[in-house]
This record gives sequence, structure tokens and C-alpha cells, in this order.
Amino acid sequence: MSDASAPTNLLINIILRFGFLIVFAAFFALFAFWNPVFVQGGNLMNIVEGSAVLMILALGMTLIVATGGIDLSIGIALDFGAAFAVVAMKSYGLDWFGAACAGVIGGSIVGLFNALLVVGLKISPFLATLSTFFIGSSVQRIFTNGGGPISHRRMPEEFRNLALGDVFGVPTEAVIAFVLVVIYFIVLERSIWGRRIHAMGMQRSAAVVAGIRVNRILILCFVAAAATCAIAGLIAAANIRMFTPLSGFSYLLDAIAAVFIGAALHSRGRPNIPGTVMGVLFLGMVANGLNLMGLNFNTKDALQGIILVSALALAVAQRKARNG
Amino acid sequence: MQAEAQGRRIVLEIFGFLPVIIFVAVLIYISFNAPNFLTLRNLELVLMQSLPVVLVCAGLAAVVMAGGDDVVSGGIDLSIPATAVLAAGITAQMLSLGYPLALCAAVAFAASMIVGGLNAVLVTRIQMTPLLTTLAMFVAVVGVNNVVTASRRINVDHPWITVLRAQEVGGVPLGILVVALLVAVIFFALHQTRWGLNLQAVGGSRDAAEISGLNVNRFIAQSFILAAFSGFVCGFFILARGSGSSPGVEDNLMLEMVLATFLGAAFSPRRVVTMWGAILGAILVAAISIGFKSMGVNVFWTGLIKGSLIVLVVAFSAISQRVR
Repeated sequence: MSDASAPTNLLINIILRFGFLIVFAAFFALFAFWNPVFVQGGNLMNIVEGSAVLMILALGMTLIVATGGIDLSIGIALDFGAAFAVVAMKSYGLDWFGAACAGVIGGSIVGLFNALLVVGLKISPFLATLSTFFIGSSVQRIFTNGGGPISHRRMPEEFRNLALGDVFGVPTEAVIAFVLVVIYFIVLERSIWGRRIHAMGMQRSAAVVAGIRVNRILILCFVAAAATCAIAGLIAAANIRMFTPLSGFSYLLDAIAAVFIGAALHSRGRPNIPGTVMGVLFLGMVANGLNLMGLNFNTKDALQGIILVSALALAVAQRKARNG
Repeated sequence: MQAEAQGRRIVLEIFGFLPVIIFVAVLIYISFNAPNFLTLRNLELVLMQSLPVVLVCAGLAAVVMAGGDDVVSGGIDLSIPATAVLAAGITAQMLSLGYPLALCAAVAFAASMIVGGLNAVLVTRIQMTPLLTTLAMFVAVVGVNNVVTASRRINVDHPWITVLRAQEVGGVPLGILVVALLVAVIFFALHQTRWGLNLQAVGGSRDAAEISGLNVNRFIAQSFILAAFSGFVCGFFILARGSGSSPGVEDNLMLEMVLATFLGAAFSPRRVVTMWGAILGAILVAAISIGFKSMGVNVFWTGLIKGSLIVLVVAFSAISQRVR
């Protein structure tokens, strides 16, 4: 190796090692430069608040990806959560807490169905959750007679506050997302259950030999993930005071992307909660920053997609460089 | 004793055909309830309707054969439908601006090859998982297409494109002939040539292929290029089927492609993704959608029926494999 190429190699190595962080910072600087409003406290809080629903969905997705599967039906769980809560308030007059419980139970049904297909019928998670997606979408269309929204203008104030209220000045949805992040972090990264989940995700047969009750964990994970997504559904319903059928699908790709950006940042390429949080915030920042640039909607969409591909490529390349 | 063993074997054989039997039963049920279903005219309609899906399925099957058929870590290309709508969008937009068709097709071809090439580079050089790469690519390419077409519907009535739908050669629509020819060529290339067999070896066992001296990455890269090509051709069939390019075609095409290809695996004796299985899957799914529609079943139920079919077929194929 010649002397001239050594500094270049060093530079390339630095970029690859800290690539994602550099890109994160570079985009931040770019957006701040373009529109100073971007760095104001209010807008940064907007990013956090706007990312709350995606954050919660991405947590559920992280859990399933950690078990070695994938969940294409998180959007359905969100829809069911919203639908059950809105109907519970509108038709059965339940208070906000009863409605929230109804929503979470409604979402859990989706998780139970996934678990039945994956554990009971031994269908691969990809195909099982794909069929849950088809069936769940159809059920919503039948139930709403073609996909019309169910609005509930006189929602209890407490329920509306799930999305619009604040706790000591911090938006409630951000607080809910934060609490869930902490719970997920403790369970998945700092507890024996988390170890078992990661173990079965990495090598299922070894986990079975080691005496881990794989099926029970899978069932619990699918139900927990769906229940979590239903909480996101409660927030979405509270935000617009209605249930909009089939609205969860739009989050699916972003949630998968966030989880895999996070996995790429991990030293062994495992899905993990801090990584997922980074991924969600990155996506939220890019969406918000591009909005503030005042681009046309289509251009913004295309740029977001291109940034997504590049960010993923960089995150994966970075892991490879770090591991030599 | 011997008779018993023979009886067992017959039962097993029947079990192996269960996925096909389920489909045939559903089709027979439809033809009893919708008298016009089994007419030649209607079957032609079914075939015409399924052409875009058949094309992308052939491309996807090639990628799965080269990359291995684990959905999450093996070969998969979800970006083919996006490539198809991009090719359609570019062609439609340029035609409406008055460029000659040959130039439009050339630009669309170049764009498709860029998508395929990027997939290939990201998967083989940076070693991103195909699922993640092509999912992100799907988002980016759809975004770019929305910029190209400004998310508007663009009518296309160029005689060379309507010919795919309207022209008949010896009583058979030209479109069906073109697709049949293409599929036959791809099948021949994958199954009858040294190149195709090597490609299948790569998918069967990457390590074994590498040890026996095959350049694994080259075959994987080529499969992505082939997939992009199938997307490019599919673009013209999308234009012909819809008399132009409309936004939002890609989502449905992606779901149908994944459904047909992995459902098709249930038709193969070893339960792996094959080209014939994928194509048969595409046609059967189209037949069943059209069949239920002509029976007067509400469209809201289509998702439920498709989802249940995946569950039924895949579960039975899993059971029959366990019985064996």
C-alpha cells in the first residue's frame, strides 16, 4: 500500500464507521440551514410528536423481527385498535378507559390470529401475516360497508387527550411512545425473556434444544406486538376523532425500514430498541425537513424514498466495515 | 401388509395434490354458480387479466431460484411491480409529450435496468438482504414514478400498445401469445441451459455452489436484472390493460405477485418456488377473483377469500409435508 492512499483509506474508514451518524447530522444541518424554523424547539417537538405512532408500530415490528419473523399485519392491528375503541365509545357509551381497553383487546385478536397461523398451522410468518392482512382488510371493508370512516365527534375529552393533551408540556402521544420504548427496552434488551427471544430469533433449533418454550414465546410476542400496535391505533383515532379503515397500511414500509436501519446499526445486525428509535427519528426528521423545504408532494415522496435506500445501504455498509 | 403400505402411499399422493384439489374444487363450485364462468370467452378474459401478474411472477421466481426461497433472508424482489409502473409511467408521459414509441421504450428500458442494477449492487456488493433492499427500492421507485407522472392518470391510445389487448392472431389474443413466448424463453433459459442450472444450484445451496467454483454473486445479480426486465415488459401490459398509466396500481400488483408466487410453491412436489407454480398461481388467483365477481359476491369479500385461500393451501401443504 502506498503512502498516498493511506489517508484516503483512513477517511473512507471513518466515513464507514460513523457513516449513519454523519448522515444523520448532515441532514440535520442541511434542513437547519435551509429553514431555520427546523431547529426551533417547537419544531423538534413536532418531529417527536409526529413520529409517535410510527415509533409504537416499529416497537411491535422489532419484537417480531427479533423472533426471526416479520409482521405484515401491524397496520391491521392499528385499524382494529382504532375501530374497537371508536365503536365502544359511540355504540356502547363506554368511558375513555373502557374504550382504550376495548381497542387493545381488538388489536390483540389480530395477534392471536397470527399466532394461530404461525404456531398452530406452521405457516411461515411472512405468508401468515400476509393472509391476516388480506383477511383483516376485507373484514374492515365488510364492517364499514366499503371503507367509509366511522366518526365520533363527541368523543370523551380524556380520550381525545391521548393525542391532543400534554403531560407537563410534553404531548401525551410522545409520552406514551416513550413509556412503551422504555418497557420494550427493558424486556427485549435487559431481561431473561429478551434473551430467549433473541436466542430463538438467531437459531431456532438451538433455542429448542436449550429448553426454551419457543411456541409459547411466539404466541406471546405476536399478541404483545399487536396489542402495542392497537395503542398506536387509539392515538390515531383520538387525533382525528374517527376510525378510518385501512389507514394502517401506510405505516408498514416505514416501520420495517426503521427496524432494519436499527438492526444495521447493531454490531451483530440484530434488531434492537435503541436502533429502532434511531431509525424512526431519522425517518421522522427527513419527512419533517423535506416538508419545511416546501417541496411539491411528489418530489418530497421520491426524495424520501431515495434517502431511505441510501440510508439503509450506508447503515449496512457501516456494519460490514466495523466488523472488518 | 403390502396392500396396507400401498394404500398409505396412495393417501400420501392424494395429500400431495391437496392444494391443487382445493383450487379445482373452488373453481367447480364457481362454475356451478356462475353459468358463464367456464366459457372459452371468459377463460380468455381470465388469462388476459392475469398477464401482468404472470410476467412479474416469472421474474420473481427467477430471483427466488437464485437466492434461495427463505422469504426473509433468501432471494426476493418486491421492487418488480414498481419497476413495471415506472416503465409504464415513463412511456405514458413521454408518449403524451409526443415522443416516438421506440424512444419511450428505450428510456423506460434504461430506467428498469438502473433499478435492477441498483438492486444487484446493493445485494451482492453491500450485502443487504434482498427483502429490505427491494422493499426500500419499491418505495423509492414508486416515488420517482409519481414525480414522472405527477400522480396523474395518463391515457395511452398508441396503436402499438392497444394491439397487445385487442389484436388476435389465429383466434388467440396477441398479448397472451407474447407472454407465453416470453415465459417459454425464460423457462428454457432457467431449466434447459447450463446457465439456468448453475443459477438453480446457487439458490439450492450457496456454499456448495461457491465450493464448486461458481461465481455466486454474478448469478444473483443476473437474476435481479432478469426480474427488472420482466418488470419492464409488464409495464407495457399495464398500459394496455388500463389504456394508460394510473397511480396506485403497484400496491395491488405487489400483493398479487407475492401471493401467486408463494402460493405456487404449494403446487410443486418439493414445496419450493418454481416458475410453473408461480404462473399457475397467478392464473388461478385471477380465475378465482373473476369467478367470485361473476357470482355476484361483493368485492369487499375478495381479500377475505384470498387470505383464507393462502391459509388453507399453505397449511395443507405443510401438513402433507409432515405426513410424508
